[in-house]
Amino acid sequence: MMKKQSLTKTMNPGVHFLINYAVPITFTILVAFAIPVTGLSGEYFVRELMTRLSRNSFLVLALLIPVMAGMGMNFAIVLGAMAGEIGLIFITDWRIIGLPGMLLAMLISTPIAILLGYFAGIVLNRAKGREMVTGFMLGFFMNGIYQLVVLYVMGNIIPISNPLILLPRGYGIRNAINLLGIRQVLDKLIPLEIGGILIPVATLLVIATLCVFFIWFRKTKLGQEIRTVGQDNEVARTAGINVERTRILSIVISTVLACYGQIIFLQNIGTMNTYNSHEQVGVFAIAALLVGGASVAKANIPNVFIGVILFHTMFVVSPRAGKELIGQAQLGEYFRVFVSYGVIAFSLALYAWRRRVEKENERKKAMVLKRGILVK
Amino acid sequence: MTLIVVLIFIGIFLYTIGKEHKVLIDNKDITVGDITYSAGATYKVWVDSQGIGLVEKDERKVARVAGASHKIVVEEIKDKVLTGEKYEKRFKLKTNENATVSIPAMINNANEWIDKTN
Repeated sequence: MMKKQSLTKTMNPGVHFLINYAVPITFTILVAFAIPVTGLSGEYFVRELMTRLSRNSFLVLALLIPVMAGMGMNFAIVLGAMAGEIGLIFITDWRIIGLPGMLLAMLISTPIAILLGYFAGIVLNRAKGREMVTGFMLGFFMNGIYQLVVLYVMGNIIPISNPLILLPRGYGIRNAINLLGIRQVLDKLIPLEIGGILIPVATLLVIATLCVFFIWFRKTKLGQEIRTVGQDNEVARTAGINVERTRILSIVISTVLACYGQIIFLQNIGTMNTYNSHEQVGVFAIAALLVGGASVAKANIPNVFIGVILFHTMFVVSPRAGKELIGQAQLGEYFRVFVSYGVIAFSLALYAWRRRVEKENERKKAMVLKRGILVK
Repeated sequence: MTLIVVLIFIGIFLYTIGKEHKVLIDNKDITVGDITYSAGATYKVWVDSQGIGLVEKDERKVARVAGASHKIVVEEIKDKVLTGEKYEKRFKLKTNENATVSIPAMINNANEWIDKTN
């Protein structure tokens, strides 16, 4: 509150608004220019957006709790995504299909996600203040272990018998796994079609339930503790809160949610790229949240949905816009990757700049106060 | 501890109801002992309400089903029109079992209408 006041005092409210919402404003302008250029039909556009909204929202929602705990954007959600993929490998090997298959994948991957989240929480506790870059590196580190397990351990030590997913040499998992058995089982669980557009009612209900859970969770004892830790670690410690434990719990919850999010994401797509599907999960989810107007220190549910809509509208229109403007769809593809990383870099730089201005203002305020005391 | 046990049971339950089984549907002549059941007509087939399509004479189709209990329904087709003559059978499969259903044996109520294999 004090930080907000100090920044507001020094700036015009209009400028303040522009700085706070620079990323969503830029995106809205970009999208507003890009949509007419593409010439896409309204139906195609809405269908694509609906698919992407149901596919990605859960993963982006998984980022909220660590932000609440003051740990910034959790790049370590990649670990949760890997756990989800391990669950999917097992159900494909055992040939478990339909909704039971998807639920079993969630059940199998939950303990893995809890373990990975706990590990990530411990590491991030040792890197206070540098959680985001540590989480990012943790994703790379765990990716190596994941590849070792999937490429050498599965089929050798962990029995895998399905020849459709096993490499011809007898161990290791193939590069791509067909998830036909669980493809869109959640999306089509409650079939509803409006104007030729499939509405994934069940998936949207799951997402809505998670939103309600978040609203409820904020009011619980643990939720309050996480918020207190997010505001000030020392104040939380003085209040008797076990800060380290609370931070670990918030990462564990985020990792488990990311694991479920990845399963929901992949059931929608219907194929799994064993070694790459999880790699971009963190970057894209974080970029979407930042596009929605969130910052490293503050994120809420509307930020998630605004972000997913704006960011994925960009995904839908950029290849076509690239083709229409330059004659190459590939350029649009490059553009959207550039935009994803660019948004994150821009948001982080903006946040760092705002923090510096706030600190400078606080320092000046303290100096004035000290001078006043000395004069008296 | 109780939670872990409950979760294991849920896992076993999900495994059982979600396990995929391959059901081959044959519309071919079949000899059981001294009796030969001949395939004559074309049939429209449903397995667990999932339409498999038309199975013509000497043809084999495959259905992929999940769970333990299943129902197969075949309806005869004459001159490309459903005759309304329906045959229905229910069967159960263990977790590792697949099955081959013979339509001629099934419509003649032969005991060997289904062959279950691991």
